[in-house]
Amino acid sequence: MKNVILPNNREELWKTWETFPEAVPMAGGTDLLVGLRENKRKARTIIGLEKIRELCQVSLQDGEILIGAMVTHQQLLDTPAVAAHLPGLHGAAAVVGSPAVRHMGTIGGNICSASPAGDTLPPLYTLGARLELLNPAGSRVVPLHEFILGPGRTALHQREILSRVRIRIPAPGTRSYYFKVGQRKALAISIASMAALLQLAPDRSVMEARFAWGSVGPTVMRFPELEKTLTGRTFSPDLLNELGKAAAARVAPISDIRGHANYRRILVANLPLRLSAALAQEGVTKRDE
Amino acid sequence: MKITFYLNNVKQEIETQPDRRVVDILREDLGLTGTKEGCGSGECGACTILADGVSKLSCLMLAAQLENRRILTIEGLASGEELHPLQKAFVEKGAIQCGFCTPGMIMAAADLLQRNPAPDRKDIRTALSGNLCRCTGYQKIIDAVESAAETMRNKA
Amino acid sequence: MNGLTSIGAPLTRVDGPAKARGLEKYAADHYPPGLLWAGVKRSDHAHAMIKKIDIFSAGTVPGVAAVLTSKNIKGSNRVGLPEMDQPILADDKVRFRGDPVALVLAEDKSALALALEQISVEYQVLNAVFDPEQAMEQDAPVLHENRGADKGKNILISGTLKRGNITEALEQCDALVEGEFHLPRQEHAYLETEAGVARLTGDNILEITVSTQTPYRDRTELAHALGLPADKIRVIAPYLGGGFGGKDGITVQGLLGLAALHSGGRPVKMWTTREESFICSPKRHPARIRYRLGCKNGTLHAMTCRIIMDTGAYASLGGPVLAMAMEHAAGVYRIPHVLVEGYSVYTNNPVSGAFRGFGACQVLAGLEQTVDMLAVKGGLDALEFRLKNAVNRGDTTGCGVHMSNSTGIIPCLKTVQQHPFWVNRDKWVSEAPAFKRRGVGIAAGMQGTGYGPVVPDIANAKIKLLPEGRFRIYSGVSDMGQGNNSTNVHIAGEVLCQEPDAFELLQPDTFRTLPSGSSSASRTTFTFGNALKEACILLKERILARACNLALGVYKEDLLLIPGKVLHLPTGREIPLALIASAMAEDERVCVSTWTAPVARYPDSVNPEIRAAGFPHRVFSFACHLVRLEIDELTGEIAVCDYLACTDGGRVLNPQAYEQQIQGGVVQGMGYALWEDFKVAEGGETLTRNLATYILPTAADVPNIISLPVETEEETGPFGMKGIGEIVINLPFPAIANAVAMGLGRRIFQGPLNLEHLQEALQGSEKEAPQ
Repeated sequence: MKNVILPNNREELWKTWETFPEAVPMAGGTDLLVGLRENKRKARTIIGLEKIRELCQVSLQDGEILIGAMVTHQQLLDTPAVAAHLPGLHGAAAVVGSPAVRHMGTIGGNICSASPAGDTLPPLYTLGARLELLNPAGSRVVPLHEFILGPGRTALHQREILSRVRIRIPAPGTRSYYFKVGQRKALAISIASMAALLQLAPDRSVMEARFAWGSVGPTVMRFPELEKTLTGRTFSPDLLNELGKAAAARVAPISDIRGHANYRRILVANLPLRLSAALAQEGVTKRDE
Repeated sequence: MKITFYLNNVKQEIETQPDRRVVDILREDLGLTGTKEGCGSGECGACTILADGVSKLSCLMLAAQLENRRILTIEGLASGEELHPLQKAFVEKGAIQCGFCTPGMIMAAADLLQRNPAPDRKDIRTALSGNLCRCTGYQKIIDAVESAAETMRNKA
Repeated sequence: MNGLTSIGAPLTRVDGPAKARGLEKYAADHYPPGLLWAGVKRSDHAHAMIKKIDIFSAGTVPGVAAVLTSKNIKGSNRVGLPEMDQPILADDKVRFRGDPVALVLAEDKSALALALEQISVEYQVLNAVFDPEQAMEQDAPVLHENRGADKGKNILISGTLKRGNITEALEQCDALVEGEFHLPRQEHAYLETEAGVARLTGDNILEITVSTQTPYRDRTELAHALGLPADKIRVIAPYLGGGFGGKDGITVQGLLGLAALHSGGRPVKMWTTREESFICSPKRHPARIRYRLGCKNGTLHAMTCRIIMDTGAYASLGGPVLAMAMEHAAGVYRIPHVLVEGYSVYTNNPVSGAFRGFGACQVLAGLEQTVDMLAVKGGLDALEFRLKNAVNRGDTTGCGVHMSNSTGIIPCLKTVQQHPFWVNRDKWVSEAPAFKRRGVGIAAGMQGTGYGPVVPDIANAKIKLLPEGRFRIYSGVSDMGQGNNSTNVHIAGEVLCQEPDAFELLQPDTFRTLPSGSSSASRTTFTFGNALKEACILLKERILARACNLALGVYKEDLLLIPGKVLHLPTGREIPLALIASAMAEDERVCVSTWTAPVARYPDSVNPEIRAAGFPHRVFSFACHLVRLEIDELTGEIAVCDYLACTDGGRVLNPQAYEQQIQGGVVQGMGYALWEDFKVAEGGETLTRNLATYILPTAADVPNIISLPVETEEETGPFGMKGIGEIVINLPFPAIANAVAMGLGRRIFQGPLNLEHLQEALQGSEKEAPQ
């Protein structure tokens, strides 16, 4: 039998953790409990974080959106500020698992699972998300890309939790997207995914472009040096094609039960072109032509 | 441990181990076998229940998480002999074949109709996409939810 | 919710309300007081001799009631029909990763899990074989040593079928194509995994309540395997949470029976986890099918077909599946010169067995693609070409099967031909949006009903007038979700002119109902419905005769049986059924009737073994399907946009139940075509271990299905009907494959047509994708 303890606040959390030093935190359970079932994870004591209210809120402060670690994917979908300012993250939350999984799974859980296939990760990378980590001694802030070390590995210390995700609200006119390829349209783990964050000048030249690919490496893959080469150039399918090919040359995906490495590389190359269709649909490219 | 919660609107006090799965408590201890188990890992939706009005997977919930919650299972949906509009529509529209996915499917649909009383067929397909059905091809299930939504809108 | 209804009009499911309330008790829902949980230790070797099974420490785990091995089995310890080759618990050796080795009974699931971990088995590992073609080679490891030498090394069954002069005919063709199709292993994935409870009653009856398609066959097999008289075994089959062929035979029954014999009188329960179900349940046979097909002046002239099916470690229904495949290898076409060779081969892979479509599914997936390839090569319209070569009643198919009964393939093809989806196909394809390609595909086919010429296809129906004037139908055939129980009510309601509420249903129970065969082979309503209809006619006669005695009149034709009563037409007097029932002895209130399906007994050109396995059938259902789909050039994702299923299932008894079968079967077929790929590694380990990796279609993945019935009149079917449970699953694969081939401009021979198998084709088109 395992202990399952649900502390109501920080103080109870640290106290519980002191009593059960090996306890494993649970932030939704859709990943942890499956892992336990498959004997891939071990836990003698589980500390569920769902009752710690401060972890369950979304707020706006000083141009930042602050998302508590225990905010569920459904809460993200239901938060107008997320829909308005972070459509890429909103789009990613919408394609996590299934509705019930979105009601249970949390953004903090998605981040701390550190799966290369985690749906919220690519948009959070493009948004330059920073993470507030909480421990009995205090707190610290770490950029997301430094927090995730590898598949299932994070920079969390012993007895430390992720408390909030801080995201600077992008400049007005910034577009963001999330494209996912899975084996089916729902209940799918991505074979490859891509988040894009794009700011175009009125003449359609690229002011800023960030891209992050999921499921094609040990962590989410971003190539700032490639992004820089886009700045100032006119947005076009050719440009996206060039970006895709360059990115595909830089990834070393693995083959697994969901997809072959070759196929993943093709997706890395082709997913940027989805932007072309998306912008055409929004009338951005057509209107100008 | 001792756990107090509301089950189908009735206060319930149980003594159980904190790590037992909610689906097992419902089925084995409380005799509510309407909540089915199809996979045990959140991939089929057969065990869907409402916890505080929100659809959740009872195979991925532990006993300790029940404390103080309001749980609704398929057995609590009808009012006495009167079927819930979703149950009625599932029967009339032919949405039930083997019926093993039906309770979870209906609970997922109940969650949808709370959020969106007027879903289109695509909304319904998305809302039920976590509930696998191997018999119907989903079409009559979509028909049923569409019809129940209309009934419920007309009643409201 | 139903009033009086008649055949041809809709009847909502009688099982609907209880299922919608969550009150229906499936086999998995039984938790008898004082139960012990049963669980299995399975082999982690694909092929090994068992040297020693150490159960001692497992037996010491607190809460463990018994640990059993094959030594505890008194009977033959073999199940399976017709080939009894599968042990309940492995005795001398294991033949696949997952073969049951020991059985544990425990107070709760955690003690059970702990004890199973404690069992250690010492194996002597043997060479194993995982490829069916390698398994046929001389030096291949042998799975079943004591089989007759004439059967060849690992060949379960094989056969050849010859018509005309194939060698000459191939040379005479003006267009000839060939292709080898690799069809995937498909898992049934019913929502209710294998489950049941069992106990030994006070009078020593072994009573098993289990999710099964075959209660009567189970009883026979269990008697043999456990060494009990058949009349000491009672099998009860509640509503199944899905079956599709996966519960066509013993699953947990043998283990449950054994457990109940060693539980000290306590009830035992077994319910496989999804992961365990995936390992131990039989699958649709993976198949390699090589076709050559040629025509002369647009007329099909010659066909060769070589079928190799991997039946896995045990026979299951591998023989009948192969016979069915061979029979359907030429599909719905007249072809004068034909050579079909078939092999079903043992390997150390998981067991393959019955699955909706039953072999026809695999060959039609290959044939209907080959027909399209030939149409393209010959510059012929794919539908015209099919129409020109399709059978009419009285014709003989390329496989020598006579179309002696209703044959509606030509009207099916014509219905599709006139549909706007076919008429406007070029326009629709040309309107594909950016980065998308479109394809439209069709396929035609058929499915035989029942068990074939040798195994009698019999049902025994029983109906009883109850004292209160209601009726009880004793159903001998399981309802696995297809709704045959409701159809029984529909049929009885029609004959007896009663409302659905007037009937109560008794599910199969070998102590109370009568043997009526399996819930399978598109024969459930066809065979049982005929028997029930006859039993109802008999009962009606008796009721009217007794009403005459009760002084309502002397002429039976003056009497009308109406809901709840009998009406005397000349006087308008009414007499309630309860009153009539009270005037009848109990024996008199019961009517039974037996019905045997007609068979095809003409001499044919196939070997006796294949014939015994079911070749040929007499009554067939037919269909033509059309699909419109879109392929994403960037990712290879396929979206099925529209689907049309035109079916000849004879007369439609209940439009709602009919559509349920069509829609559900098409989506299961789409799964086979596009997503479902049960993967087994070299070494016999299952890679797709759960529903996260074995990809089933969700509600978001499939479109609405349009069903267009073509109603022929089948004179041997009850009210003119034929079974449609299987024909529907045979055509989504080839229709989709043909549409994909059109969209991609090349054909993919490896199924399913999922992203993995599309990637190569996609790489080919990558260069031209960005525009």
